[in-house]
Formats: sequence, structure tokens, C-alpha cells
Amino acid sequence: MNNTLSEKTLRYNDKGNVHMDFHGATNTTIEFIIKKYGVNIMNDIFKKVGNNVYADIKKHIQSGNIEMLAKHWKHFFDREGADYSISIEKDEIILTVKRCTAYEHVKKLVGAVSPNFCDQTIKTNEAIAEGTPYEITTEILGEASCKQIIRKRL
Amino acid sequence: MIPSDHFTRFYNEVFKFLEKQGEEDLENYWLEISKNQEKHTLELFKEKGLAGMYEYWDHIRIEENCDLDLKLEPNKLELKMNVCPSLSKVQDNDAEPMKRYCDHCAGWIGPIIDKVGYHLVYDVIDRKKPQCVLKIFKDKEESLKEEKNAKLLMGWPGKKL
Repeated sequence: MNNTLSEKTLRYNDKGNVHMDFHGATNTTIEFIIKKYGVNIMNDIFKKVGNNVYADIKKHIQSGNIEMLAKHWKHFFDREGADYSISIEKDEIILTVKRCTAYEHVKKLVGAVSPNFCDQTIKTNEAIAEGTPYEITTEILGEASCKQIIRKRL
Repeated sequence: MIPSDHFTRFYNEVFKFLEKQGEEDLENYWLEISKNQEKHTLELFKEKGLAGMYEYWDHIRIEENCDLDLKLEPNKLELKMNVCPSLSKVQDNDAEPMKRYCDHCAGWIGPIIDKVGYHLVYDVIDRKKPQCVLKIFKDKEESLKEEKNAKLLMGWPGKKL
């Protein structure tokens, strides 16, 4: 296993305090959009996030540099205090989230988390990898826990 | 997950979709966000009035890394946003910013301030610049006078300009 990453910087490299309540607004947004417009529209919005907001990570993956995604995951899961492990190989990265603090924070705020809350991860990941030689799969392991894998398409 | 640091860029995508559906769709969303924000504000604002509002935005100032000045007076709270991190992130974005991104702020704050019986004057100044001035008055007449000084006055669902 090689968990060291190159020095290339992230496109969005946030510092300072973390406002976890934004996850509550994400949960509200998911419920609002699905109720009014349906799950396909919500997924289309996540697809736009993956393709456009994360265009830089997508560009790196397209050129075979999947390390940037690992760097992105590490940076933000560290900032949010999640419990996770990551295995980084040349053509495969496995991120195992044992305790997702975003999910837990929303649960604390509203009690019942949207059943589609994790679609933000699943659909955004799919869009980031779309049209590249790689795929990103997201397996929900249980409440606030998932496994995200990027590997070469077969 | 979409990191909390990137929420505003996700928000921006939601706004662009809703704007295409129409003004009412956008306003309904702001009202939903407003309802969500009531969890963090309503009791505090009802119980402590302007001092509660000061408390809330002082917490936001720290947690959202805002460069802002807050001034509490007996009958008025003034918030001067010098560098808004929300619009700054939307502008520092590989996706296109929604041109009326700033409107959402009055869109969710206005209905809460109406609900607690205070009077909001929201001057966005210029939608392309990450700065604005928000003033909340106890007295309605004072707020109406202040509206005349605004460079780009915002309305919200419940207050059409």
C-alpha cells in the first residue's frame, strides 16, 4: 500500500473553520428537489456538480492521475473529522468511510436523514469518472458508512 | 459526500436549475431553506431579539470564515459583509456562477425576520462583488427610510419590491 501523495495542489483547497450545518441544508435540498421534481432531476444536478464543479479532478483522472481524487478525499474527510481509511495504488484507490460525520451531523440536526442523502456521493462520483478510463463505485456499507473505489474500467 | 466547504457550489447548481423553472420555483426553495434555518435561529431571535441575531451572525462569522463587521445598537443590528465566502467560492469555481446568486440570502433571511416582527433592509450593492450590508430594525419607519439609501435593495418572498 502506498499512501503518499504528490505535491500537486487541489483546485479547491479550503482552510479555516468548517460549517457542518451546510450538510443539513444539503439534506433539505435533496428532499425538496426530489419531492417537487423527482429523483432524476436531483441526480442530474449531482451530475453537473461532478462534471463541472469537479472538472479539475475529472481532468486529472482523464489523464490517468487518480491521486488527485485521493488527495481530495483525504483533505475533506480530515477537515470534517470523519473516521476513514484509504488505500492508494497506481490504478486503484479504496476509501472506506467507517463514520461519515456529514451523515451523523444531519441525523443529529433533523433526526431522519433523507434516504437519498448518499446519492450526493454516488452520483457525483459517477459523473466525475464518466467519460474517463476509470469508474468510481460507491457501496453503502451501513448507516454513515461506505466504500468508494476508483479503478480502471474493464 | 459534497464537502461542507463546497456546499455553496452545489447550491449554485441548484439555483441555476430552479431559475430555469421560474421565479416561483426559486422562491419556494428559499422558503424551504428558510424553514431549515429556523432550527438555528427562530427561538434565539424570538427570545433575545437583536442581541440573538448578533449572537447568530457572530457564530456564522467564525464558523463560515466571514470577513464581516457587526454593530449592535438598541434599535438596530448592522452587518457589513466585507468579503462574503459564499459568493467568493461560487466565483472561484469551474462551474458557471448563477448571476443572481446573492438573492438567496435575503430569500431565506427575510421571511425569518418578518416572522419575529423585525424589519430587514438588505443592500446587496453589486451582485458581482462579495460584499453586502444587512440592517435589521425594530422600527418599520426607520427601515423604510434606510431603504432609500440602498444601492441594490433585495426583496424576498413576502416582500416584493
